[in-house]
Amino acid sequence: MADVVLRGTDLAQRYESRGRRVVDALRGVSLELRQGATLGIVGESGCGKSTLARLLVGLERPTAGTAEMSGESMSTLDGRTRARRIQLVFQDPYSSLDPRQRVRNALREVLTFHRLHAGAEEQRIEELLDLVVLGRRFADRYPHELSGGQAQRVAIARALAVEPTIVVLDEPTSALDVSVRAEIINLLIGIQSRITISYIFISHDLSMVRHVSDDIAVMYLGRIVESGSYDQVLDAPAHPYTLALAQAVPVPDPTVVRPRRAAPAIAASSPITRGCDYQDRCPLVESQCREVAPTLDDVGAGHRVACHVAQRRARTP
Amino acid sequence: MTTLLSLRNLVVGLRHGHQTSPIVRGVSLDVKPGERVGVVGESGSGKTLTMLSVLRLLASPPLDILEGEILLDGEDLTSASEHRLRQVRGSTIAMVYQDPMTSLNPLLHVGYQIVEALRAHDVDTPQARDKARDALRQVGLADPERVERSYPHELSGGMIQRVMIAMALAASPRLLIADEPTTALDVTIQQQILDLVLDLQDTTSMAVLWVTHDLGVVARLVDRVVVMYAGRIVEDAPTSELFRRPSHPYTAALLASLPGTQHTHRSLLHQIGGSPPDPTRLDRGCPFRPRCSFAVEQCAHDEPPLLVRGASRAACWREPDQWQT
Repeated sequence: MADVVLRGTDLAQRYESRGRRVVDALRGVSLELRQGATLGIVGESGCGKSTLARLLVGLERPTAGTAEMSGESMSTLDGRTRARRIQLVFQDPYSSLDPRQRVRNALREVLTFHRLHAGAEEQRIEELLDLVVLGRRFADRYPHELSGGQAQRVAIARALAVEPTIVVLDEPTSALDVSVRAEIINLLIGIQSRITISYIFISHDLSMVRHVSDDIAVMYLGRIVESGSYDQVLDAPAHPYTLALAQAVPVPDPTVVRPRRAAPAIAASSPITRGCDYQDRCPLVESQCREVAPTLDDVGAGHRVACHVAQRRARTP
Repeated sequence: MTTLLSLRNLVVGLRHGHQTSPIVRGVSLDVKPGERVGVVGESGSGKTLTMLSVLRLLASPPLDILEGEILLDGEDLTSASEHRLRQVRGSTIAMVYQDPMTSLNPLLHVGYQIVEALRAHDVDTPQARDKARDALRQVGLADPERVERSYPHELSGGMIQRVMIAMALAASPRLLIADEPTTALDVTIQQQILDLVLDLQDTTSMAVLWVTHDLGVVARLVDRVVVMYAGRIVEDAPTSELFRRPSHPYTAALLASLPGTQHTHRSLLHQIGGSPPDPTRLDRGCPFRPRCSFAVEQCAHDEPPLLVRGASRAACWREPDQWQT
């Protein structure tokens, strides 16, 4: 088993709006990212995936819990050091680039700030453009002269400029055309085969997540409800929520017939105070689920699931 | 069966400076009552402009319908009066737009806006209230009363989009035009909305024109697909044919770029390469030629029209057997 480069333990994030409304965006999330591996994070909007990303890169401090990189607590690192180790790539590449800055300057800025490759910046900029398979002729372009895919490559080059240990990719292909998505995915996989780098890949595109991730964590209302290797989680889901999510993805094959059904309405008006978070939407709900919240337990070979029914099924083969 | 909507050689031009470039370049498309047609294409392929043209909603200038007819039950909407268009919009043809956040008035309660829209089409107020509430429930909004009392900014993007879909469906249109309506929504909500549209079609003869880039949605929802590229339809096929035997190399490349269980984990996906052409600066010949692996001499000279290929039609000079593997 490869070394763990990032370990989050019981991470929690609570937002309060003037004492009126409290939102627990993350409630005790623990995760591990292995060196050189990709951890995929999936879940519906509001499940806390982006909050988790922001905590991990240090854009926010958690209300509780710790994130450690190679044994050092992230919250004790200063911003510059943290940025050297972990970088974030956003969904919309245009909004993460300064429209008045040429590609060359956008990359040089990062190198100057971190005092990297002093005196050899130009050479490094060309290396970075080669690394994202963009070519040097793009160095003097402005963001508006780039296609969506090209702009996303520049954003990735900027993240890679500091030689980080980890890159968090928050929906990196969602804003791109279908024909461009494959290019970005190929690029990310290609980079990982050349340099040692770990990814956290956040997306609602399950087929893409399955394709690039080694491990996958499924989040629901601020908690991880299932985790394990990509094939454990997505090919043989144990949690009824993961199953519902996987079945909701329309398959690009018209011969696959899926029965229609009235899905239970989401966002129940009364928040759940006792038992499992998923009880109101769950087809397998039992009396125990109304009383006791399940914990995320191993059901075999590192496959972990927070569901009473799935855990019992695993115990009684 | 009769045709509900028929586009005949529609040309939309973009004025820039003293020039006008056609960017929708001769689109012809028939939709029958009860039919579900998917429209697929990359950004800039002209799919949104084509849909906006149907309801005469193009921003003019710089966009204008230069040629062609838009026939609704045989009536040409390109020459219809503004008064007539207002009758058609929302009642005969309803449209759901890509960006839901700009579709509602931020100063008015959501419920008021739904009722107002229904009343514009001669539904009386109490009946409109009931219809509005039913529609909100149908799109999976758990607490319709709360949604009605909310201002748009108090709802999430996904909720607003569902409100827009509810508004469109509440008027029982004969044609629903939906432009990427579920792209921003979670897959579970998307599933609910696709199922709702399918359910509605069991009991009404509502036709659907569904613009999407998600080939999974296409497979699930529509009977027929048109693929657009550089302002033209390049393939028009029954859904099952499109997936089984694509007739245009562009369609084939799109299908091949999707990750699926048939791909080895972490293997390289098929890339189309290059980028779509600037529709205002098209060269002679087939606009897909620079990205096409199967181009021949003829493709550089003449742009192919839609040619019959089995049950499909495709704008490609080459017979599918010549390049399909």
